[in-house]
Amino acid sequence: MSTHLDTFSYDDAIVRKFLWATFIWGLVGMLVGLWIALELANPAFNLGLEWLSFGRLRPLHTNAVIFAFAGNAIFTGIYYSSQRLLKTRMFSDGLSRFHFWGWQAIIVAAALTLPLGFTQAKEYAELEWPIDIAIAVVWVAFAINFFGTLAKRRERHIYVAIWFYIASIVTVAVLHIFNNLSLPVGPLKSYSIYAGVQDAFMQWWYGHNAVAFFLTTPFLGLMYYFMPKAADKPVFSYKLSILHFWTIVFLYIWAGPHHLHYTALPDWASTLGMLFSVMLWMPSWGGMINGLLTLRGAWNKVAEEPVLKFFVVAVTAYGMSTFEGPMLSIKSVNSLAHYTDWIIAHVHTGALGWNGLLTFGMIYWLAPRLFQTPLYSKKLAEYHFWISTFGILLYVAAIYSAGITQGLMWRAFDETGRLAYPDFVETVMKLMPMNWVRVAGGTLYIVGMLMFGYNIFKTWAARPAKYDVPVISAPPLAKVYVDPHPVPAGTGVWARFTGVHWHRNWERMPLIFTVMIVLAVVVASLSEIIPTFLIRSNVPTIASVKPYTPLELAGRDLYIREGCFNCHSQMVRPLRHETERWGEYSKPGEFVYDHPFLWGSRRIGPDLARVGGKYPDLWHVRHFQDPRAVVQNSIMPTYAHLQKRALDFDGIQGRVDAMAMLGVPYGDAVNRAPAMAREQATALAAGIEATGGPAGLGDREVIALIAYLQRLGKDIRSAPVPAAGGTP
Amino acid sequence: MKLADVMSGAGLSIYAVVALLLFVIAFLAIVVRTYAPGSTARYDADARIPFSDDEPGPASRARE
Repeated sequence: MSTHLDTFSYDDAIVRKFLWATFIWGLVGMLVGLWIALELANPAFNLGLEWLSFGRLRPLHTNAVIFAFAGNAIFTGIYYSSQRLLKTRMFSDGLSRFHFWGWQAIIVAAALTLPLGFTQAKEYAELEWPIDIAIAVVWVAFAINFFGTLAKRRERHIYVAIWFYIASIVTVAVLHIFNNLSLPVGPLKSYSIYAGVQDAFMQWWYGHNAVAFFLTTPFLGLMYYFMPKAADKPVFSYKLSILHFWTIVFLYIWAGPHHLHYTALPDWASTLGMLFSVMLWMPSWGGMINGLLTLRGAWNKVAEEPVLKFFVVAVTAYGMSTFEGPMLSIKSVNSLAHYTDWIIAHVHTGALGWNGLLTFGMIYWLAPRLFQTPLYSKKLAEYHFWISTFGILLYVAAIYSAGITQGLMWRAFDETGRLAYPDFVETVMKLMPMNWVRVAGGTLYIVGMLMFGYNIFKTWAARPAKYDVPVISAPPLAKVYVDPHPVPAGTGVWARFTGVHWHRNWERMPLIFTVMIVLAVVVASLSEIIPTFLIRSNVPTIASVKPYTPLELAGRDLYIREGCFNCHSQMVRPLRHETERWGEYSKPGEFVYDHPFLWGSRRIGPDLARVGGKYPDLWHVRHFQDPRAVVQNSIMPTYAHLQKRALDFDGIQGRVDAMAMLGVPYGDAVNRAPAMAREQATALAAGIEATGGPAGLGDREVIALIAYLQRLGKDIRSAPVPAAGGTP
Repeated sequence: MKLADVMSGAGLSIYAVVALLLFVIAFLAIVVRTYAPGSTARYDADARIPFSDDEPGPASRARE
């Protein structure tokens, strides 16, 4: 072994940058969350401004807290811990800075485009195609920097935290690319290349794995580094961490279809998603137990040290939400919970508890080290812990009750066999007290966030005039590896298998290790994707389902722009209370021209799959103008601007052409879409005027949206018997 | 004949179950291998990697 020692230093400047970004974007994302919670409690908070409406702001909240707050927190922890675990500076300071500034620019782009209505309408993948490309570029730069650092490491074995980082980096890349494949039709507008059932499948393959590989695996890596460091004890069981890692990688990728139970997704895919979700119980709880038992013999420190308090409750929240997730994936439980606030409560246990508290604990531990001065106030950190824990409890308890209440009201029948609460608004009003408690809980969490910011700011303010940059020395990796813990050589297949050589070898060969992860993820993904896309019986064709007219397509794009899918589903499940309330259940063949699918995941407002023809056109005009004038107690924002803004008829041709390129049989409309749209709009507007409505709507945006809504669910009514097989 | 014709006729409904079995077998293999005797010393050493840095500790004690 070489006796030569390399000297080097760690790049902590980049860690400090990501730390500040974590706080700033976290505060922004949470304030937007508080604002939309107020909008649900009282629609006056929409302020009548289109770019402040719930449908526009909800994606901003989710993107900000996931990709800006949690994202920057992950990078803070990864840049700090990877350099130390691998005993080397990052591969390239330039790439680190490019990653930082590129990521912040993407966040700014999201904060500008989402309120303006530029969205792909896919949850957590709303950002339009140029931003998606920027994300891919920045992510690749991060990956090069990270794998470059791995290549020049001075620690032979790769610690388990790094495995979790590797899995996160490669899997997020795969998910992001394949879910965002779309055909651009303008600088900030595109159509998903997938349609209907297949688009839904891809979206939730992505959506669930964004939770897995953005909010779970990187944070588990952080847990496996920062928790032992804070407790000053090695992880309880390294073997369990290996098991935890591979099981998470093997199982998570399959679980996505549990977001689509009882929808038009084929039953086999939904059952498979459920099975794998239930299996996830084991590794998740194994990981939680491993984290908590790391504190064995150190529980006295938890009483004194706010960092450990944050970690303990974060890991407990991980355990709670990973118990609840598999439970919610069981079809019978899901039939109650789906489309309700229960899911929102579940998500916030994970986000506020697991991701939030782990981040706070990590930063409280990092701040004295990065700013080279003691933490400004341990007592303030202690108060932060208690106020945010109480805020989470308040938020989650209220929204659990809200979700279960609404789910039960939707499915309740009276003694005569009719729906007990046929008026949907009644089920919305019932949640109002819970909505206000949610506002209170969220406010407490944000107050805690402000205390956190103040504490970190004051710590930073007391930093030395110049940061000390410690010089680290470590021997380079020897050319020939000598195992310090050799296992006596055995003979035979069994001895070779259990002789731990192969995994030990992978652990010092990051390339092979990464390939094995990619293999696991890709094989699992393709096992679900290929049958979903290529077995025709999964999507039986319905002859009467035709493409949207050019005007309806323009209306659909407005539905997307306004974010209507954030509150309204378009999917009637084959459950009696659903068909009683909404009409005929949805069939896979109904969505073959839907690029993207718009099934939604939440019913803050009623389902719209069968809304076509349910109300007169004039009703819609008045409803958009002032929802509460038509439906007392409605919490829908006003959409008066749709009557003021002129419809871009000339832009419709490009959109129809794009749809035709994606295989939608548009026929004659490929040549004369604007003219066809004008004809339909003129007729529709004349009808509205004739029934006593306002004149001059024929060239307004509202007419396109009404045309679209009046089309929904109509095709299926003219074809009671879907024909099996045929071309989708 | 299109790919979709081939796939539709290939009786792939069992495909996902086969993949499920493969994954369960791989999982069991990892369990057996990880918990096989003789590896404890190595894993204990690996678990100590986060503690092998020789950095100075943090500025101690918070100011209260």
